[in-house]
Amino acid sequence: MIDFTNVVKTYPNGTVALNGVNLHIDDGEFVFVVGSTGAGKSTLMKLLLREEKATSGTIIVDGTDLSKLSYFKVPQYRRKLGVVFQDFRLFPKKTAYENVAFAMQVVGTPSKKIRRRVPALLNTLSLGDKANCFPNELSGGEQQRVAMARALANNPKILIADEPTGNIDPKMSLEIMNLLVKINKLGKTVLVVTHAKELVDYYQQRVVMIENGHVSDDRVGGMYNK
Amino acid sequence: MKRYRPTYFIGQAFSGLWRNGVMSFASIAVLMSCLVVLGSFTLLVANININLEALGLMNQIVAFVDDDMTEDDISRIEREIKSIPYVGNVTHITESEALDEWIEQVGEYGDLYEQFRDDNPLPDSFVLEYVDGAHYSDIMYNLGRIEGIESIRDERSLANTMQSLKNGIMLIFSWFLIVLFVVSVFVIINTVKLSVYSRKNEIEIMRYVGATGTFISLPFIIEGALIGLTASMLAYIVENFLYDYIQKSMADVVNVIKIIPLSDIRVVLFFGFAAVGIVTGIIGSTISLSKYTRS
Repeated sequence: MIDFTNVVKTYPNGTVALNGVNLHIDDGEFVFVVGSTGAGKSTLMKLLLREEKATSGTIIVDGTDLSKLSYFKVPQYRRKLGVVFQDFRLFPKKTAYENVAFAMQVVGTPSKKIRRRVPALLNTLSLGDKANCFPNELSGGEQQRVAMARALANNPKILIADEPTGNIDPKMSLEIMNLLVKINKLGKTVLVVTHAKELVDYYQQRVVMIENGHVSDDRVGGMYNK
Repeated sequence: MKRYRPTYFIGQAFSGLWRNGVMSFASIAVLMSCLVVLGSFTLLVANININLEALGLMNQIVAFVDDDMTEDDISRIEREIKSIPYVGNVTHITESEALDEWIEQVGEYGDLYEQFRDDNPLPDSFVLEYVDGAHYSDIMYNLGRIEGIESIRDERSLANTMQSLKNGIMLIFSWFLIVLFVVSVFVIINTVKLSVYSRKNEIEIMRYVGATGTFISLPFIIEGALIGLTASMLAYIVENFLYDYIQKSMADVVNVIKIIPLSDIRVVLFFGFAAVGIVTGIIGSTISLSKYTRS
């Protein structure tokens, strides 16, 4: 599903963010990506989202070689990915329903399909009764669930969660992580970038550690620290 | 771009205009001023052109006779002028006819010149029309050789003066216009940039869920075009008033100058303004978008 081969990323100012990353993630895997600030996690995400291009090496996602992907095909590629952010990034003036529907509208989904899919997604994420609430009427955990529903709206193959529990309390964090595991069990490949050691330890999934721009540890069921 | 509703893009464009009201207003005002200058300049040049054409059509040369010439001399001069090849009609204007014409032109102060009736300083003259402009130089040469002709005035020199005046005006206005257009585009760039910035998060989400560049850009491009369209419509109204006013004022003062009637240029002015305004708006918004919508 995701293949990084000898990936190097050097920014124009000379900073080497990734220095020979090799990483293979299978279809349907659940992977924690961990590492200290500045280790290269964000660059890894940017490359996956095709916000940046690798300086050298190849990145292949679901059969798409990102180094050969033209500018015009990037939107089509991104429809394979769903992204969840630490700060939710919901539109404050749109309801939960509208926030999710928006993601489908921008890719030209017919209204009929939107009306069918959005309530189903909200129900799956236990938000059925919150469809008409605005973000400021929802708790942090609920907002993050709306963001997850939005990320799943276009039925992506891969879900990328960037510090999804960073802005919510521990109890809610567990709830969010449980949902990510549930989404993974539905067949999606899930990548979670996090600093939350206790969660990583608790879920006992594959952990990829990035340090100084390369993969320093990669183990299934591994702990955050050796 | 299937299944997208045009109302979405237009609605977003209007909301962008509203959100950055002050900047939108500034953009419209600057672009409008620019268009008024452009319109006035174009109309001025167009009017100079038709006047130049009119002068060209006259094909006239006026030859003034020396004051000392007798009646016989004047008859000789007339014969000699008529014998020059390619000269058509020749009209003799006597010195008293010239004074009458002068008094008539001066109008209410004409009486002051009646005192010159007995000692007329104006010379006799011949107005000659030439048949073929290509032989203009030959005619001038032959006229110059006729004894008793003191000076020659031709409308061609007036045309040349107007032509150089037109060139001068064009040069000054061209620079003025370039500066104004750069300022207009710059203001529009900043207005749309503000609009883009206020929707930065929205654009980011759109990009992450796979919205195409066109889908993201279109509302901003429409916003730029709306700024251009509004500015051009306002400029059209201002230009209409301005031209009408100038036309009326000129009509009272000078009869000699031809002025293109407003009704003849309305349509061209309207579509010209709309085209320039919309294109400028689109250019401005496209430039400001490049940074934010890049994948």
